[in-house]
Amino acid sequence: MRGDLYGGGEVRLADNAQLDALCGEYLLGTLRGPARRRFERALRDEPRVALRLGHWEEMFTPRYTKMIEAQPSGNVWKRLERELGLARYRVPWHRRAGFWRGWAVAATAALALAIGLQILRPTPDAPLLPIATLAGKAEAAQVTAMLSRDGRTLELRAARPVVSGPAQSYELWLLPEGKAAPISIAVLGSLDARFALPAALVGRLSAGAKLAVSVEPAGGSPTGAPTGPVILVGDITA
Amino acid sequence: MHDDREIKRLLLLTAARDEGSAEAFEQLYKSCAPLLLGVAQRVVGRRELAEEVLHDSFAAIWRSVAKFDPLTARPVAWMVAIVRNRAIDVRSSHDVARVDSYHGADDDPEGMLDRLFDWSPGEDDAEERRRATQWVRGCLGKLKAAERQALVLAYEHGLSHGDLAAHLQKPLGTVKTWVRRGMDNLRQCVETCMGAAR
Repeated sequence: MRGDLYGGGEVRLADNAQLDALCGEYLLGTLRGPARRRFERALRDEPRVALRLGHWEEMFTPRYTKMIEAQPSGNVWKRLERELGLARYRVPWHRRAGFWRGWAVAATAALALAIGLQILRPTPDAPLLPIATLAGKAEAAQVTAMLSRDGRTLELRAARPVVSGPAQSYELWLLPEGKAAPISIAVLGSLDARFALPAALVGRLSAGAKLAVSVEPAGGSPTGAPTGPVILVGDITA
Repeated sequence: MHDDREIKRLLLLTAARDEGSAEAFEQLYKSCAPLLLGVAQRVVGRRELAEEVLHDSFAAIWRSVAKFDPLTARPVAWMVAIVRNRAIDVRSSHDVARVDSYHGADDDPEGMLDRLFDWSPGEDDAEERRRATQWVRGCLGKLKAAERQALVLAYEHGLSHGDLAAHLQKPLGTVKTWVRRGMDNLRQCVETCMGAAR
């Protein structure tokens, strides 16, 4: 074995009498260059080296005071969130605990303004079959969803009239079976509505999926996913 | 300052890789990023480089969190080690200007030792750990002033032997000796305390 601490050559580090000195300088940061790389290799390959460094870290890593803290810019987290694909490891919004609680359709005078955002006109006089009952809190109005036999026209019928305020819209969502993200079906000013189903969704309103209504800014969700409170949800039974 | 038990919990939830993992990792980031950014900035000096180190370190924490051993490791120390290692690599590869990063820091190395680090026993620490903290502080106090200064400067700013020699305006060999003897004396002193306590 060579006497130089930073040489080492073929000597397995775990056998090195100077293991403690290497651990100490690695922890301190003064072990550099090839010597640092060699130590890191030994850390992976030789359990005794890792164990000894663990002891050093445990004993000698001091606790910093608050004076050292600095606030990172928001970009660091945004970049991490994107690059690590963290969205995959989040609870989907429609299964989050408490998501269904605390929101009801408030039938107040403020809601008495219909703003008629529905722009898709239905095919006339298609016969309709109920496919889902959407409900929120007990006092909220129930809404029945009906689908035409050809599957191209959807109608919502509220148990009592419910229209959105001037700064809000209702948005109807399809919650596919499993963990897939909600799909927007329509932006509505009233929960009594009849409209043509978007062509891409024809045939997808079937048992196992759900329908839900959220409250969104006027004109619908700005993000393509529900952003406001979900006031109604129901299983598709057809 | 940091609740070790809470941080261990967040690390374990992150390691689980299920629907709660991103949330736990975000909480971990919120509670530890300011400290870890501070640690990085001491070493690399420049703010934008420090944020780069912070980013890389949290990416490494996310990827290697399964290796964190909750039975033995102190969670903040585990993360600090990842950040310091990354910061030292970045410092080496960016040829960070030697003076700007620790300008004035050595005016009062003795005071820095107690301003920078908290030597009071942690609330969650086991008895052994509480005593170890006291021993390390006590033993640092017993080192020769030059050795102590070299260790504090090297640790705080991630300085190499060469950086230290330039900064302290001493021959490289002298500085290497201070560092080696300082670490060795520190270790022996702490081990003596441990032995005496058994």
